[in-house]
Parts: sequence; structure tokens; C-alpha cells
Amino acid sequence: MLKIENLHARVEGKDILKGLTLTVNPGEVHAIMGPNGAGKSTLGNVLSGREGYEVTEGSVVFNGIDLLALEPEERAAAGVFLAFQYPVEIPGVNNTYFLRAALNAQRKQRGEPELDSMQFLKLVREKLKIMQISDELLHRAVNEGFSGGEKKRNEIFQMAVLEPKLAILDETDSGLDIDALKQVAQGVNALRSSERGFLVITHYQRLLDYIEPDFVHVLADGRIVESGDKTLALKLEAQGYAWVADKDPALTGASA
Amino acid sequence: MTTETTDRNELSATLRDNAEVAAVLGRRYEAGFVTDIETDSLPPGLSEDIIRQLSALKQEPEWMTEWRLQAYRHWLTMPEPHWAKLNIGAIDFQAISYYASPKNKPKSLDEVDPKLLETYDKLGVPLHERARLAGVAVDAVFDSVSVGTTFRKELADVGVIFCSMSEAIREYPELVRKYLGSVVPVGDNYFAALNSAVFSDGSFVFIPKGVRCPMELSTYFRINAGHTGQFERTLIVCEDSAYVSYLEGCTAPMRDENQLHAAVVELVALEKAQIKYSTVQNWYPGDEEGRGGIYNFVTKRGDCRGDDSKISWTQVETGSAITWKYPSCVLRGDRSVGEFYSVALTHHRQQADTGTKMIHIGKGTKSKIVSKGISAGRSSNSYRGLVKVEKGAEGARNYTQCDSLLIGKKCGAHTFPYMEVKNPSAIVEHEATTSKISDDQLFYCRSRGIGEEDAVSLIVDGFCKQVFRELPMEFAVEAKKLLEVSLEGAVG
Amino acid sequence: MSQAQATPFVDSLLQAAAQTPLPSSGIDWLDTARRENLDAFAASGLPDTRVEAWKYTALRALGQRRFVLGDAQAAARAVDAAVFALPGVDGPALVFVNGVFRADLSCLDTLPAGLTLSPLSQALQGDAEPLRFALSRHYREGGDAFARLNAALAGDGVVLRVAAGAKVVAPVHLVFVGAPAEDDIAWHVRHVIELGEEAALSLVEHHVAVGKHQHLGTQVADIVLRKGARLTHVTLQDAGEGSTLVRHDSVQLDAQAQASLYVLELGGSLVRHDLHATLAGDQSRLETRGVFALDGRQHVDTQMAIRHQALNTASDSVWRGVADGRSRGVIRGAIVVAPGADGSDASLSSKNLLLSGQAEIDTKPELEIYADEVKAAHGATVGQLDERSLFYLRSRGIPLAEARSMLTAAFCRAVFESLPNAALREHIDHRLMEHLPSA
Repeated sequence: MLKIENLHARVEGKDILKGLTLTVNPGEVHAIMGPNGAGKSTLGNVLSGREGYEVTEGSVVFNGIDLLALEPEERAAAGVFLAFQYPVEIPGVNNTYFLRAALNAQRKQRGEPELDSMQFLKLVREKLKIMQISDELLHRAVNEGFSGGEKKRNEIFQMAVLEPKLAILDETDSGLDIDALKQVAQGVNALRSSERGFLVITHYQRLLDYIEPDFVHVLADGRIVESGDKTLALKLEAQGYAWVADKDPALTGASA
Repeated sequence: MTTETTDRNELSATLRDNAEVAAVLGRRYEAGFVTDIETDSLPPGLSEDIIRQLSALKQEPEWMTEWRLQAYRHWLTMPEPHWAKLNIGAIDFQAISYYASPKNKPKSLDEVDPKLLETYDKLGVPLHERARLAGVAVDAVFDSVSVGTTFRKELADVGVIFCSMSEAIREYPELVRKYLGSVVPVGDNYFAALNSAVFSDGSFVFIPKGVRCPMELSTYFRINAGHTGQFERTLIVCEDSAYVSYLEGCTAPMRDENQLHAAVVELVALEKAQIKYSTVQNWYPGDEEGRGGIYNFVTKRGDCRGDDSKISWTQVETGSAITWKYPSCVLRGDRSVGEFYSVALTHHRQQADTGTKMIHIGKGTKSKIVSKGISAGRSSNSYRGLVKVEKGAEGARNYTQCDSLLIGKKCGAHTFPYMEVKNPSAIVEHEATTSKISDDQLFYCRSRGIGEEDAVSLIVDGFCKQVFRELPMEFAVEAKKLLEVSLEGAVG
Repeated sequence: MSQAQATPFVDSLLQAAAQTPLPSSGIDWLDTARRENLDAFAASGLPDTRVEAWKYTALRALGQRRFVLGDAQAAARAVDAAVFALPGVDGPALVFVNGVFRADLSCLDTLPAGLTLSPLSQALQGDAEPLRFALSRHYREGGDAFARLNAALAGDGVVLRVAAGAKVVAPVHLVFVGAPAEDDIAWHVRHVIELGEEAALSLVEHHVAVGKHQHLGTQVADIVLRKGARLTHVTLQDAGEGSTLVRHDSVQLDAQAQASLYVLELGGSLVRHDLHATLAGDQSRLETRGVFALDGRQHVDTQMAIRHQALNTASDSVWRGVADGRSRGVIRGAIVVAPGADGSDASLSSKNLLLSGQAEIDTKPELEIYADEVKAAHGATVGQLDERSLFYLRSRGIPLAEARSMLTAAFCRAVFESLPNAALREHIDHRLMEHLPSA
């Protein structure tokens, strides 16, 4: 479904990703771990098309199309969803209105009929139940005045409504206490399915206690230097990232 | 809770009413003495003849005389400015003497009249050997002429020219001709035109390409003689990648008459050059009833002519009966930066109308304005500023913060910012607040044992910190002291 | 300080005033005031940009145009009432076409208890004495040329009174329709509005057009709120493309009075709005909320001055501006706290979006403070849409153009959030979305 090959990317003239290769198939959950500055968030931003991230080499193919050639909204319509590390507050734009506009824009682009407000409301009600979110959040402006936990849950809730094929969770655990973390993880787990792939970007292993990955990759200096199953995450937890840095990336860079 | 509030109110009311506190107030203007020294001066009045005489006295070349006369003729055609927020009597330009100079002009610092040196000692300006210790090069302007510039040799060794404007006209005519009036044209405004016609002296600084001026340069201006005006002219040029930090200080004796000070300062920064210009203005402010004091009408403008250049104005204005000045930056070069940091304190019947103009012309230009106004007594204190973003100033940024502090019920604090934006990628932000010193802050300080006046100083000092931080160390200390002295008697 | 007086503009109006003077009102003081104001206008002409209040609005082009005074055919002009129908606004209505009162379009049948509402022309036939103070005002400022003109030439307008204690709940609708005519018409309306003690009023002032025209309309309104009165005043300015509209509102608030003024500026070609509010009584409160959204060659200049001159008064102003195309938005927001006005709490926010390289925004917030027990703050910005928000919307699948208009509308929306009339609020929101550039 997602095929990243030899991806090089640059931010403000600085090379961040230096030959990243990764394949995600439907139904798989991949965890990307790594020390600060390894390029984890850059990966999420490059995939969703944020401005200022310049791809200098390599390719990203998503269900047979060149993802990098698409505008951010086209990527969303194609089924890519980024759960932001820092969700943006948008005063004045009602949460429900925003979500319906997004869903209908995507449906329109996919040639599907738009939902009227009754249909949409019905959908939202269903999803709210899964996410255990109070509908009070719906009446507020997008993320405005939300607590850290509410913002992250709102991201997952959007994901539930938009039903992407590939969900990228960018440090979704950052800034959450353990209860909020569990709630968010429950939401994510409820959305796991055989058709949907996940890229879970995180610095800490603890999120993976609740969202069990099929694969764990270690990102260091812009490349994947080690891949394995969930036991790799436990090893990182026990030994830290120092041993990763010791590895010569030049020798291991192609191993993923 | 209620009792405490009541007590506090009573306490501060008592203190305010306390005549003793009010009596302690009048610690005087400390620079208010007159030096008894013989002066040569031109008779009062202004005419082409006077200008010719002035120019001849200064042994100026013909082109300079012509330049002055042109300015004078232009000035005659200009209407006196319309004062928006200033309350001012008519100025009789014929009653002013446009030139006063101590007799026995010194050839070198060693020949300087000991009385003059004493004057500068009293003012705390180290003109002589102590200057070496302080490591600041000083040019001192007494009434209309420069009486000595220190450290000239040391500066000359690295190619820096620092001398009086009169000397510069004689010795570096090509540099002066090239830059004089290139930032503030002769007819820029009423007082700039007047200055161009009659300026007597001032400082000239030239920092050649690539040179970082090894020490702070400083000019001390002193008005001493009565019935005179001071019209100094300062020109600072920094060539590519050069840097200079320049300080000016000003004082005058206490007199019942109003004296006019109409200066022009021009700064030119070429590519990657940086000029830091700091002012501590402590001209005589007049007495409590508003008698006497200096009319301080100054045109200061910096031209960031080269790409990546930077001009930074920092001013602490505590003196003068009336201040009217807007140190400005023309941000012509791409990515050039303009800054303006200001503390303006007015007390008694002082009036200050000051601020800045930031004109964004080049791409990626940035400006920052931090203005702190403190009004006490029956004074009036206005910030007036313009941020203009021209069409081509892609990506221009400005941030402006103006805060006013009121001490007492009879003063005024005003903010008049103009923002004119023509480029859709520019971001311009302005914030302003006005408040008085909060009773809570005062009470907190006092409950910790700090007296009311000290508490006010402390709070005012904190209010101004952002600006003081921009001043060179020695000046920061002086500025703080000056504020304390100026504020004496404000609480009551 | 003003242009040569003999501009075609001044010339045409003075000529017209001489040929077809307003019929004598039969009231000496009024005829005198009209004459004196006309003389003052003749002497001063139009202000130029050296007059501070007109610094950003040049009247050179207007000064070159000629206008016909009033529309003799106004009564016959076809106007479909649907153009000014507003949801949530179903109270009495007073409709003017090209400045002329149209009884056939108005609705004055069942006025609620305590409300007196009539066109000025009728009011003057009764006891005119209560109008004397407002109508014999003189405009002395150099920039008040249009107010002078209005005082000299306005033959009609609105007289509205709410009796002490009366609460007028259903919004009163004041409609000003610009309709095409053979000539460019100059029309003038003069309003006197008074809310008695503890009275309440909801008022909607509405400017619309029924076709292309280039008329000049001037409006001067004196609004007084007596002790404890409450006013909600919404102005929907949807005037015709090409038209010039100059409004001058003076609002006075006595003790404990509260006024909320909402302004939406969408239409017109050259629009000027002077809003002078005086917090004259202790504990009075003023809220102003305004939006201008401009495109094309529109020029809208709002000059607001709020004066606090009593104890413990509060004012809070929130304004948003959007300029696209080759438009120019000007907003001055001055707050004056007079000596002795202790306990004043004043704030003003002016945020603006500049969306085009040909557009310009000039903003000038001002604080003039003469009392020390005061909280006063203002903020002003000119900038663009937030890139992060744009990306966030796009990452959820919303196309760029739609994301832009969504954010632009959101930027303006907060201004009307406190408007209690939900149906009207929704209509405004809808109208704003319609108006904003979506592509």
C-alpha cells in the first residue's frame, strides 16, 4: 500500500532524511522509533505534504500513485491521515462544520456523493460512541481551548470519521498522562482493521504497550538502522538509543 | 480580606497626603549649574549675514556656506509646524543667538580650560585621563563647539574617524559632502531646515569597511550660555561590515527662559554594517511650574542603505520642557533591521511627543519597537509612530509594543501608532497598554519593607528593563539613576 | 486645509440647493441651522488628506463629480421588498428609497407600546422642540464637511423614541435602498434616536441596492441612551457597487446605559463611517463589533472615537478587516479617557488580513489617557492567514481555496458571536461567506 524508497528530504537547507526505505501493507501497524532529531516527525510531514519539506531524492508510492506529486488535500482524499503532534487551534471554525466540510471534500474528490447534515450527524454519533468523546467537543471551535488529551482524542475522532487507508500518528503520546494515553490507544485499536495501515511515530515504548505494533523500526540520522518485531521496542526501552548511535549507519542503512 | 484592603487604601492615602513626602520630592536637577566662563557669541538674530558670519567664524569652505544659505532660504518658505499634542508658546527665532563658544579655544585636550574640565567632571563625563580607564572615546560639545575629543590617535590607528563636525568639514570635505544631508534632506522639516542653516558643531564618525570600532564612542552635549540655542549635527557612516556603538548625553543649566535645541542626526549603514545609537537626554526640564527648560526638537534618521545592515536606536528621555523626536529607520537594504527602544519619562509640566518611523522598503526587512512612557505630575507623554510596509517589502515583519505608566491624576499618556501595509506577505503587530502602578505591587513591595518612593523606582525600573537592557552598561546605570532622580516627588 | 472650494462637487450641490431649496420647515431655528451649515460647507468644501481624519481617504475624485440633489422620482421607483427582508428582523420597518420615505414599503401599523417611530418629515410637522438640540448642532471640525452638508440638506430621516421603561424586543428595521436613476443623486438622511430611562431597543440599520448606480448618500444619526437604557444596533452595509456612502453616528450613553453596536461593511465603492461614542454616565458600557470585507476597488474608512468621561465606564471593541483585490481598508480606533474618568476599562482590537499585493490596510489605534485609575489596551495587526491552520485543513482533505475562505470567515466570525439575534447572526455569517472570495 505504501512504498517509501530511498527517501531524502531537507528542511531549511538541512538534510534530515537520508535514504529512508519502508513498506507498509494494509492491516499492518509499523512503529517508528528513534532519538530526538532522527527525522521521525519529518517523515510524517513529508508524507502529508507540509510546505517547507523538500524531497531531494527517492519516491513514495501509495496504492500505485506518486504521493509526492499530490497537494495535501489530494493526499487526504487518497486516504492518508496525519494525526498531528501539535493539533492546530482554529478559532471561529466549528468542529462539526469543519469535519463535515473535510469529509465531503474528500468524498467529492473520490466521486462519492456528499453527505447531508442528517446523514453526517448519524455518522458522527456512531463514531462518538466508539471514541467515548462527549458531543460537547463538537460544538466548540476546532481544538480551541482543548486540553492536551482532548486535542489528541479529537485527532483520533477525526480519523474515525474520515476513515483513512493509512494513518500516521505523530508522537500522539507526547504530553499525555497515562489515562489519556490509554483512551487514545483504545480509540486507535478500535480503528485497526485489515484494510488500514498505521505508522506510529513515537519516542517512547510506552505507547506500544497499548498499541501493539507488528513491526518496529529504529530511525537514526535519517535512515532506518534496525527493524524487528515488538521485542525491539522493549530492547530500546531497556538499553536506550545509545547502542543505535554506535551502529555504523552506512553498514545497516539498507537493512530495512 | 476586606479589612486588609481598607487598611492598605488608608495607608497609601495617608502617604499620598503626607506633606513631608511631597517636600522631599524636590531633589533638584543635578546638572543645573552654570559654568562661569567667557564666551564669544554672535548677536541674537537670524539672517543670511549671520549665517555667513557663522560660516566664516568656523572657517568653512564656500560650498558649506552655500549649503547653509540654501537651507535658510528653504526654511523661510516653510510654515511653523502644527503641534498635535503640544502646548507651546511661539518661538522667537530672532531672539536666539546661533553661536556661542568658550573663549580661548583649546588646541588639544591639555589646553582645555580647567573650568570646562571641571564642568564635565561634575557631570560625571571623564574627559581626561579617567577616560582612559573608562575606555570610552568622548567628544564634548560645549554650547556651539566641540571642546575636545579623546582617544583620537587610538581610533585613527584602525582607520576610524571620530572628530567634531567642524573639523570634519575642513579635513574630510569629500566624505562630509557625500553623506551630509543624504538621510535628512535640507528641507525635510522645519527644524531640520533650521539646523541645516545654522548648525554649529556636532560629531562626525566614519568607520571604514570591515572595521569594528574598538571602543564605544560618545558625545556629551552641554548648553551653558544663556539666550543661545544649540543646533548640533551628527553624521555617522558605517561602511560595509563595519560596526559602531555610539552614545550621546545632554545637559543644560537651569534657566527661566526656554532654550532651543534643534539637532539633526544622520546614520548611514552600508552592506552588513551595524550602528547602535544610544541617547540619554537630560536637558533641563524646567521647574515644577513649567518655567524654563529646553525645547528639544530633534530629527534623527538612520538609513539602512545596504543589504543585511542594522540600525538600533535606544533612548532614555528624561529632560527637556518639550521633546519632539522620532528616531527613524529607512529599511532600504534587503533583510535590513531597524530597532527602537525608548524610555520617556515626563514629570511636572514636561511634554514629550516621541516615537519612531520604520519604513520597510527592502525584502525581508524587520523592525522592532519597544516604547515605555512614564507620566507623572501634570506632564503629557505621547508615543507617535509609523510602521510603513511598501509594496516591494516582501516578507517584512514588525513588532511594536508600547506601554504607558501613569503616576498621579493630572498627567496624560497617549499612543498614536500608524500602520500602513501594502504587501500581503508582511506581518505587522502592535500592542499597547496603559495602566498605573498597581496598588497591589506597591503594597507588596512595602509589606516587604521597601519605602514607597523606592518601591515606585523599583517598579518603574522593572517596567523599563526591556529598554535598559539595550543600553551599554555604564549608560544603563546612569539611566536608572536619572529615572530615580526625575521621579522624585512623583508619588504624593 | 481644504481643497479649492469651487470643485464640481461643491458647485453642483450649492447650485442645486439654491435652485430647489428645501421647503421652509416653518421652524426658525431649523431654517437658521440649515442655512448656517450650508454656508459653512460652502466655505470649507471637502477636506483633503492633510486633514488628519481624512489622511487615508482622498476625496479628489469625488470632488470632480457632480450630483443632483434628491430624487424626485423616488416614490415611483420599483423596489422588491425581498431585497431587504432579513431573517430574525420582523418588527416595524421604515424604508427610504434614494433618501425618500416610502410609506408603501414601510411597516408602521402596529408599533409596540412605548415606541414612537416616524419619518423626520412628519415629525417636524408636530412638536419639533424635542428635536431642536440634535438638529441645531454645528459641525466645527475641519473634517466634518459631510455632516455639514447633511445638516444643511437633509429633509428626511428617522425619528425614533422609546419611552422610559419600554422594551422593544422585535428589531426595528431601518432600510435605505439605493435605486438607479437618470442622474447621480445625492441624498441625505438625518436620524434622531432616543431611548428613555431603562428602555430597551433592538435596531437594524440596513443599506441595500436594487441595481447599479453611483449615488452619494449621507446619514447623520444622534443616538442617546438615557439612564439604564439598552441598545443593540446592527448595521448591515450592503450598499450598491459604485455608490458612495458617508455615515456619521454620535452615540451618547448616560449612567448605566449599555450599547452594543455591530457593523458589517460589505458593499459600496467609497464608504466612510464616523462613529463617535461618549460614555457620559457612570457605569455605562459600550461594545463595538465590526467587520469590513473588501474587494475590487472598494475603499472603506472607519473612524471610531470612544470617549470615557464618567466613572467606572467600560468599552470593548473588536474589529476585523479583510482587503483583497485593489481595495483599501482604513480603520482608526481612538479611545480617550477624560480627566477624572477613573475606573475606565477600555480595550480595542483591530486585526486585519491583507490578501492581495494591490490592496492596502491602514490601521491606527489610539489611546489618549488623562486619568490614572484606568485599564486601557489596544492591539492591531496586519497579516495573512496562518499557514499552519491552512495546512491542517488541507491535510484533512479541504481544498486550498475553500480552506482559505473558511479561515477568512472564521477570522471575521468571532466579531458577531455575541449578537443575541441568532437568526440574524446566521444570516450575517451566510452573507459573509457568500461575499468572501472562495476561489
